[in-house]
Amino acid sequence: MNESIAIFPLLTLFWWATQAGALAAGEAVANATLTRLAAVQPAEAHATMITPLADRGQKATVLFFLTTECSVGNGYAPEIARIVQEYQKRGVTCYGVYAHETAAAVTRHLKDYALPFSGVLDPKLQLARLTGATVTPEACILSPDSRVLYRGRIDDRAVKPGTVRAEPSVRDLRLSLDAVLAGKPVPQPVTRAIGCYLDLPAPEK
Amino acid sequence: MPYRPVLRSLALLLLWPAALAAAEKRPVTFSEDIAPLVFSNCAACHRPGQIGPFALTDYESVKRRAKLIAEVTEDRTMPPWHADPGVVAYSNDRSLTKEQIALFSDWLAAGTPEGDPAKTPVLPEIKDGWQMGPPDQIATMPEAFTVPAEGRDIYRKFTIPLNLDKDTWVKGIEFHPGDPRVVHHILYYLDTTGKAREMDAKDPKPGFGGMSQSNGEFRYIGGWDVGTQPVELPYGLRWFIPKGSDLVVQVHYHPIGKETTDQSSVGFHYSDEPTAKPWSIIPVPPHFGMMQGIDIPAGEKEHIEKASFTIPEDCTIFSVNAHAHYLGKRMEMSATFPDGSTRWLLKTSNWDFKWQEDYAFKDPIKLPAGTRLDVLMSYDNSAENPANPTKPPKRVIWGPSTTDEMGVITLSAIFETKEQKEATHQALRVYLANQMIDRLLEGSETVFGQVRGQIGAADQNKASKNLEAARAPLLALDFDKDSKLSSAERIPAIAYILQGAFIKNLGAIGFD
Repeated sequence: MNESIAIFPLLTLFWWATQAGALAAGEAVANATLTRLAAVQPAEAHATMITPLADRGQKATVLFFLTTECSVGNGYAPEIARIVQEYQKRGVTCYGVYAHETAAAVTRHLKDYALPFSGVLDPKLQLARLTGATVTPEACILSPDSRVLYRGRIDDRAVKPGTVRAEPSVRDLRLSLDAVLAGKPVPQPVTRAIGCYLDLPAPEK
Repeated sequence: MPYRPVLRSLALLLLWPAALAAAEKRPVTFSEDIAPLVFSNCAACHRPGQIGPFALTDYESVKRRAKLIAEVTEDRTMPPWHADPGVVAYSNDRSLTKEQIALFSDWLAAGTPEGDPAKTPVLPEIKDGWQMGPPDQIATMPEAFTVPAEGRDIYRKFTIPLNLDKDTWVKGIEFHPGDPRVVHHILYYLDTTGKAREMDAKDPKPGFGGMSQSNGEFRYIGGWDVGTQPVELPYGLRWFIPKGSDLVVQVHYHPIGKETTDQSSVGFHYSDEPTAKPWSIIPVPPHFGMMQGIDIPAGEKEHIEKASFTIPEDCTIFSVNAHAHYLGKRMEMSATFPDGSTRWLLKTSNWDFKWQEDYAFKDPIKLPAGTRLDVLMSYDNSAENPANPTKPPKRVIWGPSTTDEMGVITLSAIFETKEQKEATHQALRVYLANQMIDRLLEGSETVFGQVRGQIGAADQNKASKNLEAARAPLLALDFDKDSKLSSAERIPAIAYILQGAFIKNLGAIGFD
């Protein structure tokens, strides 16, 4: 069933965010903490409004940009679930961010792929634009004051769509999170994520 | 700002020729350019309930994937087809031409316009259920197999009793995946020895493991891979199923990120008529390169294996396929005819173990007796090869498991008489015996490891307990003492090996 949900963000995006384009990592995203979006849980399709980037005392926030139908992203689901479980214990808050999906589809996806976080519905690609994410799966680490500390691949397992290594050799997201939690600089703040593309509108001419 | 309109007119004048050229060339649209391509080349798999991870069945779904489609068609990841473009004409070619591929990037650059929806072709319908009609017998996996959420691809064999009380001819086989999202390809075998049941019973999970195509024990009768529409065998040909055979289905599963179960079915279409002509396979090198002495050093970027087989009898070939494991890279076969002319039969520069296509020649090719088949197979055992299953790379030798290698290019061939077919099978056995002689004389420990105790007529686990002992009867035939066997010296050596348990136990080298 194509469930239409009549939930829209209460605050629309500030005009500067649309103008900002892809931000460089480390750049502060002003007012990002106010972005309010609908989110669903694995068990219930009922959406609630949340402010995913608000400072609640978390050491960092990780956004996983996902689509329900991308085989590259779905192949990463078990690793994403492990990262969430391990790093949430260490004070990191994680969300799945879905741009082009209904609440029902996201709820089903979280449940089917055993993803232990809230699925944020981002139909206007606000979080993608705030962080510069363009691909699914793509991970972003944000500081409590919404600086993008890392943006890119989860690890180097995916070489291109259809070609995946048996084992990754660099686990970029884990390395970056370890650095952030240790108060050290992230070794490589931007990497290229491999997978499907977010349907971002062409930049204004 | 009165000067602005003037400037604008000037600019327009200057740009006029460019604008005119652009107007002449109709922009690429979904309805007229993209939909016909996507509907006929992608949508058979990319539709709900099929293996394609997302549907490509209308403007919205294709538009959303436009960038990904442009990328994966450009590097020829999709549609899956691995023969080099423009070398050999195949009737089941699903690749796109350069011009077709360019349309996707042009469409993306144009902003993915829909065009006139009235001009969009109708999506070809694929009916539910058995495509070839109701089968005469449906063989279903006795138990569902659980495919885990992640990890390496799984190659699993399942034994299904067919309970046929008489020898039977088959004109077509159709595969029905239980969960199409995880089933990548299938190979069918027949077992008349009861060995498959034994192996199945020994393995606690449903089915039994292993990637090898036959181990020599089972009779290969074709397969299916993703995207292939089931059709009746061509030219009135039939597969032969001896009574009492068990069907052994080898399934290649690809984990998709969540655990799922599969219980697939195979539909058989039987025939009252026997095969119109004798036919078989011509595998070069025979038995998956078992006696080729494949031994790939760790880290070697391009390891090359070559094999040449001269066919002893006239035949007509109608399809070709290649088989290797994860490291396989180039798979090539050419034919050199008795008049000296040559042609390609298969050329794949980027072979991919994940796809097991059978390439059907557009027109059957006549191979006169004396035609030489030259095979080249290359392997990439470097750490840079993303398909390499071992990290860091290790030395890889011939063997049946996923981390071993093998290699063969196989033709499907039609003969006029049974005698021609049998003579071709015999020539393949002799070829294998010759390979064994060469490897033993070279001192190949890996080949010796496979044939120990079963080489020659008198060899009953004692004559060849070590490599030196195995070489002794061969070297005894080396009358001119040049440490090689000439063709004359080989005659008794081949006879000796053909009597041995190894060749005798290999079972069918081709089809019955």
